[in-house]
Amino acid sequence: MTPALTKNKIPLITLVGQPNSGKTTLFNYLSGKNFKTVNYPGSTVEYSISKILSKFSINANILDSPGIISLIPSSPDEKISVDSLFSHPKFGKPEIVIITVDSSQLSRHLYLVKQLIDANFNVIVVLTMLDLLRKKNLDISESKLSSILGCKVLKIDSRTGKGLNELLLSLKDSISEISDNEELFPEQLVNTQKEKLLESYRHIEEIEKEVLFRKDPDNGNKNFDISEANKKLVVLNSVRLPNKPDAFTLKVDKFTLHRYWGILIFFLVMAVTFTSIFWLASPLMEFINEVFSLLSSGSEKLFGDTLIGNLISNGLINGLGSVLVFLPQILILFMILGLLEDSGYLARGAMLADKPLSMIGLNGKSFVPMLSGFACAIPAIMATRTISNRRERFLTIFIIPLMSCSARIPVYALLIAFLIPQDKPWIGGIAMASIYIFSIFSSLLIASLVNKFREKIIRESDSSSFILELPAYRKPKLQDVLNNTIKNATQYLKKAGPIIIYLSLFLWVLTYFPNTDPQVNVTGKTAEEVSELKNSERIMTSYASSLGKIIEPVMKPLGLDWRVGVSLIATFAAREVFVSSLALIFKITEEGDNIQASILKAMKEAKIEDTGEKLFTTATTTGLIIFFVFAMQCLSTVAISRKETGSWRIPALQIIVFSTIAYVVSFLTVTGLRFFGIN
Amino acid sequence: MRTASDLKLGEKAVIKDIDNTHPSSHRLLEIGFTPGQEIVLLTKSIFNDPIGLSIRGTIFAIRKNEASCIII
Ligand SMILES: Nc1nc2c(ncn2[C@@H]2O[C@H](COP(=O)(O)OP(=O)(O)OP(=O)(O)O)[C@@H](O)[C@H]2O)c(=O)[nH]1
Ligand SMILES: [Mg+2]
Repeated sequence: MTPALTKNKIPLITLVGQPNSGKTTLFNYLSGKNFKTVNYPGSTVEYSISKILSKFSINANILDSPGIISLIPSSPDEKISVDSLFSHPKFGKPEIVIITVDSSQLSRHLYLVKQLIDANFNVIVVLTMLDLLRKKNLDISESKLSSILGCKVLKIDSRTGKGLNELLLSLKDSISEISDNEELFPEQLVNTQKEKLLESYRHIEEIEKEVLFRKDPDNGNKNFDISEANKKLVVLNSVRLPNKPDAFTLKVDKFTLHRYWGILIFFLVMAVTFTSIFWLASPLMEFINEVFSLLSSGSEKLFGDTLIGNLISNGLINGLGSVLVFLPQILILFMILGLLEDSGYLARGAMLADKPLSMIGLNGKSFVPMLSGFACAIPAIMATRTISNRRERFLTIFIIPLMSCSARIPVYALLIAFLIPQDKPWIGGIAMASIYIFSIFSSLLIASLVNKFREKIIRESDSSSFILELPAYRKPKLQDVLNNTIKNATQYLKKAGPIIIYLSLFLWVLTYFPNTDPQVNVTGKTAEEVSELKNSERIMTSYASSLGKIIEPVMKPLGLDWRVGVSLIATFAAREVFVSSLALIFKITEEGDNIQASILKAMKEAKIEDTGEKLFTTATTTGLIIFFVFAMQCLSTVAISRKETGSWRIPALQIIVFSTIAYVVSFLTVTGLRFFGIN
Repeated sequence: MRTASDLKLGEKAVIKDIDNTHPSSHRLLEIGFTPGQEIVLLTKSIFNDPIGLSIRGTIFAIRKNEASCIII
């Protein structure tokens, strides 16, 4: 039989289910993709589509969607799922809907199943988390459930691949049964009446009693044959339904959600997370630093002081190296966040943060997006889709750029290294931690101010709500966390790498031309001095200089000159570029030293042209750090903020407000420090 | 009239009804807070809000204000 459907369209299989029920894990298995799967309800906030791997020999597209509670969405991420179910803008209606059902929370998850069946979808139910159900000494009969619901029911574990073969076989069957004349007409309208809902739950409770079994403890070993064991199981009809949460989770929560301990543990977890970024990363950073200085000096030897040599060692290797040095810190940040997410703790964090955050107009659900803002603002802004209240969601989006994202790590690390004495590196960790704390406090302050004027600024009002499932604690899957970390780091490199290379090239052109071979007075000077003189003469007469002179008046109050100005302008494409453009503009070409050391040396020697004063002082460097805390220097963030809020209002406000604050506070810092005699 | 927001730590209760007038009432029903079900107050954070309730084998954190529409 040839399915009529394949003639015009590849069948679409949509994965839906309650939050945290294992959709993305199954999607990754079937598509070979590597999307984020963590133990937090609301980890997927965007649908993704892929072809099923050819090794499974099913010609179909599979679509992963954010978790939903019911077909009546209450937040943007749920709306995405429901919309894509009823009619996906590009792929139309799904031919098959796979619903993931966490079998340890059967009744709550069956509610959605019933809705989907009633809405007339072609449904396959997959039962996940059987290991958790069995931990409660229970098991489930899929054949009974299947006959009651009137659809296919299968048991799977997509982390190990168990039961997936059966799922594939039944998918093949289902696909070959689809035909053109049997078009589905799912009804969008779902009854919101309380009576209907209660009746549905009453029915579900009946089903639950029918299909759940008490597991015979003797058969609790791993390799039991399910069908054999099923026969030996005792029907649970008379036994109470499994309404006790996971015992281990209850025990751990006694501490983590304890009235006083809970808050202490919360601060401890946050402190360990942020400080370990610096302690753990330093040996790795040392290594990368070495590699790049070898490369740089090697290329200089190879090409000499020629145009090409200058371009490669100055423009490219140093530029890339100065940013790659910070990759370990970024990797470690992603890894710790991943471990935290996968353990199930973050949902608790969100719960603890709800009260204080709601006092300044945010929501407990702002916590996880804000935390991931420390990695990168872009996924963080997307993650706000789980916040149902629009005002709170927009306010969260508004302040996320203030979270100290990983792109700022290279900048801070360099500037801190400049400020602190070389022999006391531990001060660096403290300084970095202070920057984080400062940025958190100022973002909360700004949030509360914006909240005061919210009628004017955010212009949204609807009722606020916080309902969040606290998932059972799980041992984090190291493999998943590592995969995710590597994926994020690659994305970071893919995003930052090209920008750095292009901007470095562009800046290099600006600083090298038009006066490529400046005439200098060579009498009585060594070759090295001549080369240095030429370098500085070339840059003083370059395009960059003429451009920079235009913005110099703006930089002056901050104690900075056009060279830093040019670097700062470059950072509006991406913050990381700051370090590489400093390296380029200050022409670091020291041999033997590592990159960071030679940038620092160049910074120490740099003088303001007309006054001869030192350019980088304690005051101006601190001012620069403050500038980076506030300034909205990331085009991708502006773009995503526009997309997620649906208008230019919020991103425009972000640019104006944050740039002004950055400039003013930085100016006040520099002036204040100088006033107290610190220069 | 007692509601879930009046529960003491560790106290069990059976839901009598859900107050329809509350904006979150429908969502609470959807996630399984239906009359006849047993709930337990598992945690109160330092601020006493939100609270952690167990329902149908799952733990939910909800605000006190929302808990007050769960009549016990
Ligand atoms: N114990 C157990 N854990 C599982 C199973 N399947 C998936 N998980 C884990 O459950 C967690 C949630 O899985 P996801 O695939 O991210 O769930 P999701 O349905 O995509 O969640 P949202 O995107 O938040 O809606 C992850 O930590 C998975 O590793 C299973 O069969 N048993
Ligand atoms: Mg997911």
